[in-house]
Amino acid sequence: MQYVVALIPLLPLLGFIVTLVFGKRWGSKAHILPVGLVTVSAALSIYAFVWAFTHQEETFVWNAFTWIAAGRFTVPWGFQVDALTGIMLLVVGVIGMLVHYYSIGYMHGDEGYYRFFAYLNLFMFAMFMLILADSYLLLFLGWEGVGLCSYLLISFWFRKKSASQAGKKAFIVNRVGDFGFTLAMFAIFVATGTLQFTGVFDAAAKGDIASGTMTWICLLLFTGAIGKSAQFPLHVWLPDAMEGPTPVSALIHAATMVNAGVYMVARSYPLFIQSHTAMNVVMIIGIFTAIFAAYIAITQNDIKKVIAYSTISSLGFMFVALGAGAWVAGIFYLFAHGFFKGLLFLCSGSVIHAMGGEQDMRKMGGLRKKIPITFWTMLIGALSMVGMIPFAGFWAKDEIIGATFVKGQYVVWAVAMITVLLTAIYMGRLIFLTFWGENRADAEVQAHIHESPPIMTVPLILLSIPALLLGLVVGIPPDGGWIHGFLEPVFFGIESEAFQWAGEGGLLMLASLVTVIVGLLIAYSLYVRQTDLPGRIAQRLPWAYRASLNKFYMDDIYAVVPVGATLGFASWLWTFVDAKIIDGAANGIAWLWGWAGDHLRPIQTGRVQNYAMYVFGGMVVLVVVLAWVWGS
Amino acid sequence: MNALYWWLLLSFLLFCIGAFGVLARRNVILVVMSLEIMLNAVNIALVATANFRGGARGAGTLFALFVIVVAAAEVTVGLAIVIANYRNKSTVQTDTYDELKG
Amino acid sequence: MPGGDFHPWFFVIVAAWILVCGLGVVLFKRIMYSAVSMVFCFLGVAFAYALLNAPLVAIIQILVYVGAISIVIIFAIMLTEVQSGKMSLFFNRQSAAAAVVALVGAAVLAIVALSSDIGHIGSESLTPGLRQLSRLIFDRYVFPFELVSLVLVAAMIGAIVLATREKERP
Repeated sequence: MQYVVALIPLLPLLGFIVTLVFGKRWGSKAHILPVGLVTVSAALSIYAFVWAFTHQEETFVWNAFTWIAAGRFTVPWGFQVDALTGIMLLVVGVIGMLVHYYSIGYMHGDEGYYRFFAYLNLFMFAMFMLILADSYLLLFLGWEGVGLCSYLLISFWFRKKSASQAGKKAFIVNRVGDFGFTLAMFAIFVATGTLQFTGVFDAAAKGDIASGTMTWICLLLFTGAIGKSAQFPLHVWLPDAMEGPTPVSALIHAATMVNAGVYMVARSYPLFIQSHTAMNVVMIIGIFTAIFAAYIAITQNDIKKVIAYSTISSLGFMFVALGAGAWVAGIFYLFAHGFFKGLLFLCSGSVIHAMGGEQDMRKMGGLRKKIPITFWTMLIGALSMVGMIPFAGFWAKDEIIGATFVKGQYVVWAVAMITVLLTAIYMGRLIFLTFWGENRADAEVQAHIHESPPIMTVPLILLSIPALLLGLVVGIPPDGGWIHGFLEPVFFGIESEAFQWAGEGGLLMLASLVTVIVGLLIAYSLYVRQTDLPGRIAQRLPWAYRASLNKFYMDDIYAVVPVGATLGFASWLWTFVDAKIIDGAANGIAWLWGWAGDHLRPIQTGRVQNYAMYVFGGMVVLVVVLAWVWGS
Repeated sequence: MNALYWWLLLSFLLFCIGAFGVLARRNVILVVMSLEIMLNAVNIALVATANFRGGARGAGTLFALFVIVVAAAEVTVGLAIVIANYRNKSTVQTDTYDELKG
Repeated sequence: MPGGDFHPWFFVIVAAWILVCGLGVVLFKRIMYSAVSMVFCFLGVAFAYALLNAPLVAIIQILVYVGAISIVIIFAIMLTEVQSGKMSLFFNRQSAAAAVVALVGAAVLAIVALSSDIGHIGSESLTPGLRQLSRLIFDRYVFPFELVSLVLVAAMIGAIVLATREKERP
């Protein structure tokens, strides 16, 4: 088992190094090694998942070597596998592998072909290390690693200015969250003397950490999650991250990296349950982000941006679950979301590919006859996303919404229901604008619309299966399904009531289902039947429309307050401090020597008698001084 | 007051007279002459000390002899330089020998 | 008085002679007067050596200094220009400062010398006699002796090289 666990991250790391060094001369065959290695890692991940499945209640821990040894502060490079790790490994491994295959087709002919796969492999290494880590520091290593990879991959087409700026934005905004994470690690170490999960959680269980400190630790940890998982107010990087190639969006921003924040909070479960304040904060930020993002998604015209905002919204839902105490529901939703969101992104990539690079939905339409495979798989993904029965998303999302009601968070439940409505509206809009009606593109583009090659459509089909069936397989009955039993040992001490199909639980389920259907019908009527109605609504409520379209002006605010101030300060430092003070000092010293030289030159008269005078006079002085010194 | 003190006083006085001549006169040959005065002063000090205090088995007097010899050599070469210089510049004023100025 | 016969009156006469002639060297305007002063100064120094029980040195002083160096200097004076005129021709611009420095230096040296402890002075003269001196030259210090003769040769050659006129090339 040790070898399995060690190889899972090691293989992609090797793939990264070798492909980066030799990839250029492999040309269009550069994908063979990295994709092969990732496939093996995926297989090993499935093996590890099976191990976790067959060894429930057990945790596999292995210290490979001592990583940091600095007196009192020692951190081993340790691996840990339990049920939670198993599920994450399954998601990351399988979806990562499928995205690698998809990329062979999508990135075909790109001049940075080998670089792309090298970076993808590096990402897989970092993500695996993140999930397999047995200490906060090692998790942070993977955390930073995926942040770096997101920078490398978002700005992959670095010659395009918007892409490189999006990469910078992602990294910098992430960094803000990472700062909170780092402070949390400091606090944890000060409070418990260790950063390993077992040590920290034991100390927490014994009550060694004061409650005020615990709240701060949890809030700071959550700050890191806000950055990494794109919650308000650090969500602004995710929509811009769509500048990267679509497989990057699918892998990093749907299926894996953004889940890191959710995973980390779930992993820190023993800490969070001790702080009601922190959990409430998590829940409130989660639900606010969910509805905030959903509201913006309604007016976006770029197909990838809509899906990006839906990701932000879904992540909000996950945090709502965690914050409300429905830990298993949150992880279940993460599990399902990985599949259907990844599917949605890859399908959108297929649509863009078919439309010859066009991403604006206003120029699409009527594609369902022309690219059927993409259409059907995307439809499955969308229905799963909005939460239509019997798709996976329904079971997972409904469990979260039901949990908020059952735990007495009625306000949150109400906001969640509104969000479900908005979600149905914007996803319906996406589907109807893209696939229904008449095609609105140029004739030139229309002639070239074609289905994607199998290397791209096969992953789509493979992903749509869990998007459709996962809920039925692992999530039924709600709160009592297989997945709940699987994850229970991780979230010990949670009691869940039995689900009443005909009682409260069933009613809630019905309510959310009705909301979804209503939303879809609204979307249908707005975008298929009376297509001029959305325009008229926008005219009647201009401020509502513009707030949504301009993302509540958050980017503009950020451009002024932190960014503008920093740039202004930097500019001032340059023109004043550097040019005047530092250069002045350097030039001044040079000038000083020149001045001194000019004024000392007259001493050298060329006449020996002057020099002799200096010698004799100096001798006299010297005798006087020495006589005085030695005499006294 | 020991006799030696008197001789040393004479030596120092003569030395400073010679120093004044070296520093203050304009004719370079006169500078050389003052230099000889200084050397003589030193010799007086040497011989006086050798006389009253003894040296390393009398090497003080020998040292004075060597000084005389070397002084002779030095005067020879120095005046040869002066003459050669005079041929080029036609002057023996020390003030004009300032080619190494600046 | 220690050191054999000190003969204080002889000392005073010789010392005065030497000092007056020294002043004459540095103060006369006409350089020939200075040269003659210098000759008499050397003679006085020779007498001083005689007083100090060093007759060999006295003789050599007269032979070398008075007999050779003074002649060379007078030759040099004759080969170069003779100045006459204002005082400023003879003393350069730093002479005031030089006078001060020289006076101060003399004072300092005197004070230092007089306040230091020279040590016991016996009653007999310690200047080596001729026999002892020759033993020193040819036994213990023969190496410096040879080197000094080398210096003389070098000086001679140097002087000749420096002083010959360059031959006019046809």
